[in-house]
Amino acid sequence: MKIPRLLLFVIIVAVVYGIFKAPGFFLKQPIPSSLILMYMFFVVITVLLWMTSTEEGMQGLVGPIKALIEDPGKKRLRNIVFVIVPLVAGFITYQQIKPSYEAPVELRSIHPAPPASIKVFNKTFSLQTLENPYRKLEKEDPAKFTQLVKEGGEVYFKNCFYCHGDKLNGRGHYAHGFNPLPLNFTDIGTIAQLQESFLFWRISTGGPGLPKEAAPWISSMPIWGNFLTEDDVWKVILFLYNYTGYVPRSWEK
Amino acid sequence: MRLFSVVNREIPIAKRRSLTALFLLFFLFALPVVKSADFFPAGIDTVYASEDAAKPATPAGEGEVKAAQPEEKKKEYPPAPQLKESDYPQVKYINGRIMTWMVAQLHLWFAAFVLAVPIFVFIIEAIGMATKDKRYDKLAYEFIKVSLTAYSITAVFGGLLLFTLVVFYPDFMKYMANIFSPTFLAYALIFFAESACLYIYYYGWHAMETGFSKWAHLTVGWMLNVVGTMLMFFANAWVTFMMSPHGVDANGVFEGNLWAAIHNHLWNPINLHRVIANVAYGGSVVGAYAAYKFLSARTQEDRAHYDWMGYTANFIAIAALLPLPFAGYWLIAEIYAYSQQMGITAMGGVFAWLFITQAVLIGALFLSANYYLWCGMERSKGAVKYTKYIKYIAFVIVTCFLVWFTPHTLILTPGELKALGGPYHKYLGPLGIMPAKNTAVNIMLLFTFLSFMLYQRCNKIPTVSWASRGNAFQIAIFVTAIINIGILGIYYGYFTNTVYKVASSVLQVASTLSVIILCTVINIFMYKGAKEVAPLQWGKMPDRSQYALFLLAVSFTWLMGLMGYIRSALRQHWHVYTVFRDSSPDAYTPTIGYAANVVTVATILFMAFVIFIFWLSTLSGKKETAHH
Amino acid sequence: MKNFLKVVIFSVLVVVFYTLFANKYIPSIKPSPPPAEAKLDLGAMTMEQFIHLGDEIFHGKGTCELCHNPVGGRAPLLDQVGKTAEERLKDPRYKGKAKTGEEYILESMKEPSTFVVAGFGVKGTNDTQSPMPVVTSGAIGLKDFEVDAVIAYFQNKAGVNVTVELPKEAPSAGAEETAHVMVPAKTPEEVVTKYGCGACHKIAGQQGALGPDLTKIGAKKNKEYLRRAVINPGAEIAAGFPPGMMPPDFGAKMLAGELEMLVDYLAKSK
Repeated sequence: MKIPRLLLFVIIVAVVYGIFKAPGFFLKQPIPSSLILMYMFFVVITVLLWMTSTEEGMQGLVGPIKALIEDPGKKRLRNIVFVIVPLVAGFITYQQIKPSYEAPVELRSIHPAPPASIKVFNKTFSLQTLENPYRKLEKEDPAKFTQLVKEGGEVYFKNCFYCHGDKLNGRGHYAHGFNPLPLNFTDIGTIAQLQESFLFWRISTGGPGLPKEAAPWISSMPIWGNFLTEDDVWKVILFLYNYTGYVPRSWEK
Repeated sequence: MRLFSVVNREIPIAKRRSLTALFLLFFLFALPVVKSADFFPAGIDTVYASEDAAKPATPAGEGEVKAAQPEEKKKEYPPAPQLKESDYPQVKYINGRIMTWMVAQLHLWFAAFVLAVPIFVFIIEAIGMATKDKRYDKLAYEFIKVSLTAYSITAVFGGLLLFTLVVFYPDFMKYMANIFSPTFLAYALIFFAESACLYIYYYGWHAMETGFSKWAHLTVGWMLNVVGTMLMFFANAWVTFMMSPHGVDANGVFEGNLWAAIHNHLWNPINLHRVIANVAYGGSVVGAYAAYKFLSARTQEDRAHYDWMGYTANFIAIAALLPLPFAGYWLIAEIYAYSQQMGITAMGGVFAWLFITQAVLIGALFLSANYYLWCGMERSKGAVKYTKYIKYIAFVIVTCFLVWFTPHTLILTPGELKALGGPYHKYLGPLGIMPAKNTAVNIMLLFTFLSFMLYQRCNKIPTVSWASRGNAFQIAIFVTAIINIGILGIYYGYFTNTVYKVASSVLQVASTLSVIILCTVINIFMYKGAKEVAPLQWGKMPDRSQYALFLLAVSFTWLMGLMGYIRSALRQHWHVYTVFRDSSPDAYTPTIGYAANVVTVATILFMAFVIFIFWLSTLSGKKETAHH
Repeated sequence: MKNFLKVVIFSVLVVVFYTLFANKYIPSIKPSPPPAEAKLDLGAMTMEQFIHLGDEIFHGKGTCELCHNPVGGRAPLLDQVGKTAEERLKDPRYKGKAKTGEEYILESMKEPSTFVVAGFGVKGTNDTQSPMPVVTSGAIGLKDFEVDAVIAYFQNKAGVNVTVELPKEAPSAGAEETAHVMVPAKTPEEVVTKYGCGACHKIAGQQGALGPDLTKIGAKKNKEYLRRAVINPGAEIAAGFPPGMMPPDFGAKMLAGELEMLVDYLAKSK
């Protein structure tokens, strides 16, 4: 049996919508509604393009609609549709604009652009050129490097671990008190995408060091520059990369 | 009727004269302005002398600051001036930045168009000479005719741009002139050379139609392209110097090596990106022209001609669109390498959302290009056997596109944020970063190419004995390439470090390009002497398919405007990045919405101008028909 | 014409869709405004910035804090000087020309010996001679606007009305010098000037009187000792001088070459 084009269109759109909704129902990872809106927009457009790419398809799609409006024999169906469509439109509009208790959408950029230079530890660091002074030891003196990583680990477990967790996955003891959760360093989208100088900036100046465009400043990260030394920060950065197995972003091979 | 033709015959000559006069007027007009603003130094050594001499004339507060610096440093070149708000002339009711922005954008659109058209006119003319097919020659001539009026308008906007820059940013222009003045002179000379080439090329078209003079004509076309591209490279040098200054020290003191300033970090990436994008853009605008002519054609003959023209233009646009993402990726990688701050500003900061907008537009470009090809299968009755594949191609393309569109930072309602436990999404998160997008875009390109291959063979059946093996081999290439791209993207993108990530994207590109080249070569041999089962019926194309061409042109225009904004906005509050600060009241970076509004207004202006140009070309077209 | 309108409407709709997308769907993030000028723009300075500049000079370039600190007790504390200046004018020992607090502070910086706070004078001069160097000359060399900035800082700190006026325009040379540029010194004299040794010591033609005389130090001490004395001043204190006076951070501040140059120079001063 050949399914009529118009029906096929409706079925495809409905199925795709269901697929996009599925992660939210079954996996507790809902796809944001704003994204589903755009996804659906493009899916509908593409399906329409495909269906109208041949003359036959075009007729199959438009024909029934045309018939519904023009065919005198379909008067009853037409009247029903013409009542239902405005009602549905009205319902959707009502759902859209009715007041709700939902807090407004907040947007945080996860990796805001760093400033050109930062002032911390009573020094000015230019983030453009800043490099981890210990990174070179990785090749030159592996034993010393391992030692430094170990010291970095100690810094981590004395300071950072309470929030960022013993597995560096952002699930520390205090983590659940925060919204958003502390950063998960094992995620490919976090430290693996960044240069070490970026981490140095974020660790040593903490939440208050975020630029304006990263507002709202919902970050409880302390200004570690006040509690740690410059060395500690570099060591803990070594530890973060070493533990997660990622390599900081760099441009030279 | 007779009167009509007489009146109209006058127009091209009058038009030509008036436009040339207009452009000369602008050029001559701009020069004195420049001169009076001390813009063209008579000689670099004397410039400070003249500046000092001019000192008493300037208001006391300003003069001292600027004069003090050259005195102190007995060097040949001054450091970048430290300006104050009052150094920027304010004109009532006119916002200097928006004015300059709009004019620059319009200039750029026209320039891109007039640089691109000669490139493929040259190619089409050469094809016409090789195949002795008169259609190509006619098509090439029609293209160049369209670009001729645009050329004058480009020059007008170029003059206007110079004028607005000198009026609104005099100190900035003075600083740039100190470094680049030799190139300004060269630019002017090359500009005249280009005009000469273009006029010879266009007006000599029919006079140089046979034998050796046709070769000479083609050579002129070649030269036209060379000088045109050189012109753009000069302009690119100024623009990229502003982004990635080179050959100057931290205070902006020029070290005297002009080549270093020209050959700065981003020069070549921008050069490549712009050349390719120009061709794609030129193709899309000509495609829109053909589409309009197609829709308003009265005879079957015209319909067939403009259908073919639209198809060819679209082919050019898509062929240039395919390598464009890679050129763009190189450019962004170089920006990152030049300055982490600039790179993160572009990709991770405020502008991350701009790339989402860009993704929507590029998605629209790919979808409409594919749609045009699918509709084009209607031209041949033999296409029926391929139409069933359209849905699979559509599925793959839309899937890749959705991956490409997925942003790194999600817009989450508080409820969703709570459900996810943070701004990270387990499944969408990995799709938000570059490896996923590179993989998606490569597969999208491959399938667009597949659409094209299917279209190409819809009217033919290969007769060579190895046809089935050839097909199998092509399928094998496709599958291998997709697997390769997938593995490269997933393994190197997610499980190794970023150095490999960049390297793997190059390999992905290589596999995509090799598929395209290999399959094209195989096709050429496989379809040699192929049996034509159902000839292409040019003109047998639904009207709705032509709107794909309009969408292509409009989207390209708007997209160029938006990307031009980001390229420029990456400098943030600097005239010359980290060297020469922009202290004007408009130094702030506007929001994407604001930029989009400006770009939209400029796009609509541009479209109005383009309609005007096409209208002019119909006038001369009418003359020709009336004359015959 | 119908086609023309259709095409125009279609194109405009496409553009409008993109515009709406960029305005409505894309979250509107305002990029942060350009940061305040790092370099000095004196013409456009606010009083707050000016006071901040004074603060920086007091702790930095002016080297004031070397002596005017609560540790050594060699110079009066200045956190209330904005207020006490007025009282000093009424002091019977005051013989200067100043009429206001502002003028008094200015005078004390340019002619330190005009009035010496009791107990802080050079030994044996009965508080008629100040050990303080003239801040506008020699090692410190503050510009007039910088002196003004320091006064503004004092007045602000003491909670009195700031009476100094903002500078009208940038004396560009001065403004450039304030930008912290780490240029290595080329001669020992430059090292002395750069780190303000002459503020306390008698050295290289400068007449500091707070610390030991260094013009003949090479005769008594070897290089080892001198180097240690710079890097770790507390290790051994010259007889008759209180400990903790000399800043302990020269070792961190000085470049290695500068330190060696200085030590060589001192060792040769016999």
